Amino acid sequence: MNPGHAKKVRVTTISAIVLLIAVFIISVATGFASLTPTELFWTIFGQGTPKQDLILFEFRLPRIIVAVLAGMGLAVSGALLQSLTKNPLSDPGILGINAGAGLMVVVYIMFFSVESSSSLYILPLFALAGGGATAAIIYIMSYKKGEGVEPARLVLVGVGLAAALSGAALTLATRLDMENYAFMANWLAGRIWGDDWIFVLSLLPWILLLLPISMVKSNVLNMLNLNENVAIGTGVNAGRERIVLITIAVALASASVAVSGGIAFVGLMAPHIARSLVGPRHQSFLPLAALIGAVLLLAADTIGRVILDPSGIPAGIIVTLIGAPYFMYLLARK
Amino acid sequence: MSRLHAENLTVTYGERDIVKNLGVSIPDGQITAIIGPNGCGKSTLLKTLSRILNPKTGMVYLDGKGISKEPTKKIAQKMAILPQSPDAPEGLTVGELVSYGRFPYQKGLGKLTKKDYEVIDWSLQVTGIHEFKDRPVDALSGGQRQRVWIAMALAQETDIILLDEPTTYLDMCHQLEVLELLDHLNRVENRTIVMVIHDLNHAARFAHHMVAMKDGSIINEGTAEEVMTRQVLRNVFNIDAEIGMDPRTRKPVCLTYDIIKPVELVGNLA
Repeated sequence: MNPGHAKKVRVTTISAIVLLIAVFIISVATGFASLTPTELFWTIFGQGTPKQDLILFEFRLPRIIVAVLAGMGLAVSGALLQSLTKNPLSDPGILGINAGAGLMVVVYIMFFSVESSSSLYILPLFALAGGGATAAIIYIMSYKKGEGVEPARLVLVGVGLAAALSGAALTLATRLDMENYAFMANWLAGRIWGDDWIFVLSLLPWILLLLPISMVKSNVLNMLNLNENVAIGTGVNAGRERIVLITIAVALASASVAVSGGIAFVGLMAPHIARSLVGPRHQSFLPLAALIGAVLLLAADTIGRVILDPSGIPAGIIVTLIGAPYFMYLLARK
Repeated sequence: MSRLHAENLTVTYGERDIVKNLGVSIPDGQITAIIGPNGCGKSTLLKTLSRILNPKTGMVYLDGKGISKEPTKKIAQKMAILPQSPDAPEGLTVGELVSYGRFPYQKGLGKLTKKDYEVIDWSLQVTGIHEFKDRPVDALSGGQRQRVWIAMALAQETDIILLDEPTTYLDMCHQLEVLELLDHLNRVENRTIVMVIHDLNHAARFAHHMVAMKDGSIINEGTAEEVMTRQVLRNVFNIDAEIGMDPRTRKPVCLTYDIIKPVELVGNLA
């Protein structure tokens, strides 16, 4: 828009990038098997000792990248859902999409076990099937003919369904052996477990594909966020675009939680913070929301890892500790 | 001449026919006001003309082509619609909202061109909201907000603009302000305006063509003098109206009116 605002958007976005780099450096420098910022610098540029290489490239970097990618995916997913439902409380976790994906993750483990890494690429597809089915059920249950989807009903149905699906996932998980059960319990708590390059590779294509598509759809999102009728009047193919964008949101969330664990509230908070900083125009806030999502999840994972070393607290719990009060605050303000 | 017209329109909502086998032609370069009691289908007709609703039967034609068969963006370059009292997202600025009116001309990421900025600027000027450009829409008064939405419709650069109750919820002064703006756009810019409006006197004062609806059909249409008659208002609104002449505008006005009570009810009371 006007030059002043464009500059503000640029400065804020660059600040978020700097913040993400800072959190990355802190993350590497803390906890078990850490590298100082100087060691990190030389290791990145190929001057590290074999031990330093091992720490960075085998232990730390995969997990950090998974946190960053999943944070971005969840943030953009939440942003899309909020814009499409015109409901500031929409979030893939709150709406039960994550829980639906989680249920399918249990099913996946029953078939393939956690150890068989060769089939990991299809894990996001399992999660997507669960998340997609959940989204469809929520949509049907909260849709009333003539009124469309009512925001309050959407959240109520979602919260109820999320509880039911998590319960079902845990019940199913009791049939697993010890190791797989422990894994599943951790997954539900939102422990970032994808700490191998294979997890990065199974998530990366989804993010690389769907994040740019979401950004390109900024214009359409702007219109749908105004009002369905206004959107149609300006030439948006509202029905079709809505389905495409909801599918993208569900896919982003499902693929993210498949490797990051059931993490709620990132999709709620990141878009909110971004919007309050640069306004609701999607060209401005969508990239920023992605960066903030990455910062939030990486910071939560780092904090969770450092306190209670070495087992750590799952990132999902740390995020929830911040996110739940934020959710209450948004509810109270409405 | 009429670029926008509809034939045999039937629009249903659930089981009920809201608009029944209706045909209408919108005169070019004029202001058309659609009037009628609540639930008569006037808003539904406007939404169908603007392709927000799809008719069960019949077709709306724009420049001789059925609007459901043309690319929707192309129609948006010819015809803009301002629905009833939309809300802007929190924090969206006036300039940003008006820039959204350029959607039908944009591709990809939607970077605004020099031409876009010129049109946005002009829209802000003509609606008198240029000074609020960087203010959030939700911080403005009702009358100012309505002018922002009109500016967004103007940024669409269309010859035809449809408005659903553009004066509802505004005070007397702001109602007139909006109507005078539409009048200006019609006279100076030669835009075709179609509006659904409740205030009969406003309709008579500003519209060249009035369309009176009842129960999903057009009961009467024509100039204000032809439609603002005791007989038509009795048929359409079930009121007994006293029609006079506005000493300032020389247009018909409804001076006062009474509800026509069913005969048996009057009998019982007596």
